[in-house]
Amino acid sequence: MPTQDKQPVSPDILLGILKATMPFQVVSDAMLRRIAAISWKVSYRAGDTLYEAGGPADDLYIVVSGKIDHELAPGVNARRPMKTLGEGDVFGWAALLEKVPNRLAKAVCTEDALVIRINGEELLKTFESDPDAGDVVMSRFATMITRDYTVPDLIAQLRGIHRKLHARDAQGMNVTLYRVSRWLKSPRPYLMLLGLSIFFGCWYLAVEVFKLPRFREMPGITTVVTEWLNPNPVFGLSLYTEEYYKHIAVSVWRVTQAFLLATALGVPLGLFLGWSKGVKDYLFPIFEMLRPIPILAWVPIAIVMFVATESAVIFLTFLASFFATALNTMLGVESIDESYTRAANCLGASKSQVFFHVIVPGALPFVFTGLQISVGVSWFSLVAAEMVSGQYGLGYVINTSYTMVRYPTIIIGMITLGAVGYVTSAMVRVAGDYMMQWRVRELALGAR
Amino acid sequence: MARRKFDSKALAKGLFSILVFLVLWEIGSRSKTWITAEAFSGFREALGALGFNKNYLPWVGAIPAPSEVVVAWGKVIVDPGYWQSWWMSGARVGGGFFAAMLVGIPFGLALAVSRTAHGIGFPVFELLRPIPPLAWVPASIIFWPTQELSIAFVTFLGAFYTIVINVVGGARSIDVRYFQAAQSMGSSKADIFRRVILPGTLPSIVVGSAVGMGITWEVVVAAEMISGGGSQSGGTSGGGLGFFIWNSYVGGSYEQIVVGMISIGIAGFISSELLRHFGKYITPWLRLR
Amino acid sequence: MSGQPGKLPGGAPTRGAIRIEDVVKIYDPGGASVMAVDHCNLDIAAGEICMIVGPSGCGKTTLLNAIAGFHEITSGRITLDGEVLCSTERPKSTPGSDRVVVFQNGALFPWKTNLDNVAFGPIMQGKLSKAEAREKALSMMADAGLNGVEHNFPGEVSSGVRRRIEIVRALMNDPKVLLLDEPYRALDSLTKSVMHEALLEIYYKNKVTIFFITHDLEEAIFLGHKVAIMTSRPCKPKKILTVDIPHPRDYGVLTSKRFRELIEETNEAVHEEAVKAFQSGEKEG
Repeated sequence: MPTQDKQPVSPDILLGILKATMPFQVVSDAMLRRIAAISWKVSYRAGDTLYEAGGPADDLYIVVSGKIDHELAPGVNARRPMKTLGEGDVFGWAALLEKVPNRLAKAVCTEDALVIRINGEELLKTFESDPDAGDVVMSRFATMITRDYTVPDLIAQLRGIHRKLHARDAQGMNVTLYRVSRWLKSPRPYLMLLGLSIFFGCWYLAVEVFKLPRFREMPGITTVVTEWLNPNPVFGLSLYTEEYYKHIAVSVWRVTQAFLLATALGVPLGLFLGWSKGVKDYLFPIFEMLRPIPILAWVPIAIVMFVATESAVIFLTFLASFFATALNTMLGVESIDESYTRAANCLGASKSQVFFHVIVPGALPFVFTGLQISVGVSWFSLVAAEMVSGQYGLGYVINTSYTMVRYPTIIIGMITLGAVGYVTSAMVRVAGDYMMQWRVRELALGAR
Repeated sequence: MARRKFDSKALAKGLFSILVFLVLWEIGSRSKTWITAEAFSGFREALGALGFNKNYLPWVGAIPAPSEVVVAWGKVIVDPGYWQSWWMSGARVGGGFFAAMLVGIPFGLALAVSRTAHGIGFPVFELLRPIPPLAWVPASIIFWPTQELSIAFVTFLGAFYTIVINVVGGARSIDVRYFQAAQSMGSSKADIFRRVILPGTLPSIVVGSAVGMGITWEVVVAAEMISGGGSQSGGTSGGGLGFFIWNSYVGGSYEQIVVGMISIGIAGFISSELLRHFGKYITPWLRLR
Repeated sequence: MSGQPGKLPGGAPTRGAIRIEDVVKIYDPGGASVMAVDHCNLDIAAGEICMIVGPSGCGKTTLLNAIAGFHEITSGRITLDGEVLCSTERPKSTPGSDRVVVFQNGALFPWKTNLDNVAFGPIMQGKLSKAEAREKALSMMADAGLNGVEHNFPGEVSSGVRRRIEIVRALMNDPKVLLLDEPYRALDSLTKSVMHEALLEIYYKNKVTIFFITHDLEEAIFLGHKVAIMTSRPCKPKKILTVDIPHPRDYGVLTSKRFRELIEETNEAVHEEAVKAFQSGEKEG
C-alpha cells in the first residue's frame, strides 16, 4: 500500500542512484538512461507490506532511503532468511529469475522508505539488447544473491539466467547484426582496411608507378586482376576458363584423398601408440626415425616406388599429414588425466568401453589440432610434389607459368592456393567444433 | 618432478623393432632376385593380376636395400662434394632461420603489444599465411637477383609464419596478474616489456622456433630440388643436400637418394636437438617441470 | 541419540564395513624406497562416515587408491564386508562399482552431458538400458536438487555443482562405499559449507559408508562419525576420534560447544603432523 503512486524519476538522479547500486555499478551511462526510462519511484510508510511470498514477482526494488525487512520463505533454504535492507540494497530479484513467477520473500517497510521499482521483464529486455553488458549485470546479481541473501539452492536457477541470455544471443539474427555493428564501431575494420591498402598500395606503386628495380620484373596488381577477371585471358588462365577450375579440382581431390587416408591410418595408430605402452615402445622408434626426413626428400623415392606420378604425388601429400595426425593423436591420448580412466574403471567400464568412452573423446581436441596441422602440411607438400612432378594442379600451374614466362598466372595460382587452403582448414575447424560441442561451450564460458 | 629413469627395456624394444624394420626392408628390396625362383611363380602371377610389376614386390622392391645404401654411403663419405652439400644446406637453413627470428620476433612482439599494429599488420599477415611457402619459389626467383637469395627468401618465409604466430600467441597468453604485479611494484612501460613480456614470451618463441626449424629444412630441400641447386657453377654435387638427392635421382643412383634422405634426417635432427638444448638453457624456470 | 550409524533414521546399514589390517606400501622410484603407508590398521563400520585427516602428501591417497584398486599394496590386507580386496598374496584389488571414487579435481567426463555422466555406470555395466539409466539419473539428480543442469556439459556449471553431480554419479551404482579424495579442496569456504550440507543430506538418504580424505579438521569433525588423524609420511593413524555429536547435523553444530572442544582436543595432533610434513618438504599432491 504505497503512500504515493508510481512517480517517474529524473534520469540524472536515477543515474546517481544506480551507480551506487552493486549490480549496476559497471553499466554504461547510455544503458542506465534506458533503465531510467522504465523505473519509477514509490514511497512507503513504516508498517507497509511491499509484497508477500507467493505474490507475483513483477518489479525489482532498490532502496533509496528508509529500512525494509526482507524475509525469505522457508522453501528457499536460505541460511539467513532475515535481512534488514537499507540505502543501496536491491531486493525483489525473483523478478529476474527463470521459472520463478512468484515472490520468494516477504518485504515489510520498517522505517519510511523511498524505493525505485524497475519492471523485471522490461529490464531483461534492456539487457538482451546489449547481451555483453547485460551478462555482466546478471553475473553481479548472481554474486549478490549467493553472498548477501545466502541462497545457495538457487545456484542452478541463477545459472539459468546466464543461459537464457546466451541461448538467445546464439539464435538471434539481430544479435549477429548487433555484433557486426559493434565491430564497425571499433577501430579494427578501419585499421584492417588501412593495413590492406598499404600492402596493395605498395605493390601497385612499387611495380607499376615507380617501376623500382627488381619490382619491375614482377607482375603488377592491376595486371594480375585484369588477367584474373578477363574472359579471354592473355596467358590462358582466369576465372572464366574451364582450365582454372580443373586445376583447383585436381589439387583438392589429391589433398582430399591424402587427408582421408592419413586420418584413417594416423588416428588409429596414434590412439594405439598413446594407449598401449607396449605398442609405443615398439613402433614409436621407427616413427621417430622416419619423421625428421623432410617430405620433399621423399620425392625421388616416391617416384621410383610408385610408377604412376599420380600415386607418387598422393603418397607424398599423405606422408606429412600422416605424421602430424598420428603424433597429435598420441599426444592427445597421453594428455588425458588418469582420473578419467580411473573413474571409468570405478564405474564398471571394461577395457574396450574405456577406450571408446574415455580415450577417444578425451583425445579428440588434440586429434583435431592434428588434423588442422595435417591439412596445412598436406597443401604444403602437395604444392611441392606438384611442382616437381605431376600434371595439373595449382602447384603445377605455378611452376609451369614460371618456365613459360606467364608471370601474372603465377600470382593467380598463389592467391587461389591460399584461398582454397584456407577454406579446407576452416572446414576441418567447423567439423571439429561440431563434434566437440562440450569444448566449444566450455571455451565460450571461459572466454568471458 | 619425476626423475627420468633410463629405460633400458624400452630401448631394447626400440632397437629390436628398428632391426626388424631393416631386415624386412632388406628382404623386400632384394625381392628382385628371390622372386625369380620357380617357387614364387604363382605369386608373381598374382602380383601381375593386381596390376603390379611382376619382377619385384610392390613399392619396397623398387627401392635399394639397406646394405646397398651403406655401401653407397661409404663411397660418398670420402667425397668432399657430399660434405659441401651438408655445408650449403646448413648455411641456407641457418641463414633463413636467423633472418626469420630477426624479423619475426620483433614483428610478432609489435603485433602483440600494440593494438594499432595488430589491427594494421595482422590481416595482411593472415592474408598471406595460407599460401604455402613453396608456392613462392617462382615469384622469388623472378624477384631476387641471385638464386641463392631466392632460396634464402623462401626458407625465411617458411619459418617466419610459425615464429610470428607463436610470439603473438605467447605474448597474449601471459597471465594478466604478472602485469598487475609489475605495475603495482612501480614498473614503467619499458620495464614491463623487458621484464614481463619478453621472458613471458620466451617459451613460445622456443616452441615456435623448433617448429620453424623443421619447416626450414623442408623448404630448403624443396627449394634446392625445384631451383636446381642454387649455385649454377656448383657442378654435380655442390648444391646442397636437396640437390644431392635430385642429382642422384637424375643420375639413376638410387642408393644415393636414400643416403641423401638419411643425411637430411640426421641434419634436421641435430639442428632441432641443438635448438632444444639452447631453449632449455634460456628458459631455466621451465626445467623442473 | 548417539553418533553411531546404527541409530540413523531408516534402519541400520548392513553393508560397507571396511577393515584395513597392517597395510604397508613402499614406493620404489628408481631404487630409492619410500614408505608411504606404515602398518596401518583401521576399522570402518558399515554406514559410517570415516574422515581421514592428515597433511598434504602424507600417504592418505595411497590408502584410498589401494582400496579402490588403483595401486597395489606391499603387504597387509584390506577387506570389505569380510571379502578380501587385496592382501599380501594378491596385492592389487580390482576397481569395481561397489567402491566408487570421487576425485580431488573432479573426474566428470567433460565430453558427456551431466545426465550422461550420471547414467554412465549402469550403462557400462549393462545393468540398465540407456533409456532406463537416463530416467533413473534424472530422478536422482532431481532428488539432489540438481534439476536444470542435466543437459549442460560439466564445463558449464560451477565447480560446486560439478562435485554434487559426481557424488550422484557414484551413488547411481548403489555402491557399498564412497571414496572421497579431498573432493572440496578447490572450493571456496562458502561453497564448501553448502557442499557439506548437501553431502549429509545425500548420506541420510542413502546411508552408504563414506571414506573421506581431507586436510581440514573442521570439515572432518563436522561430517564424520569417526576421524582418523594420520601421521605425516609414512602414514598411519596417530589418533582415532569418535565424534559424539548426534546426526543429523546442520550448520548449528559449528558453533556448538562440543564441536569446539573436539577441535581443541585434536588440533594439536594435526598441527604437529603438519609441521613435520612442512619441514620434510614434501611436495603437495
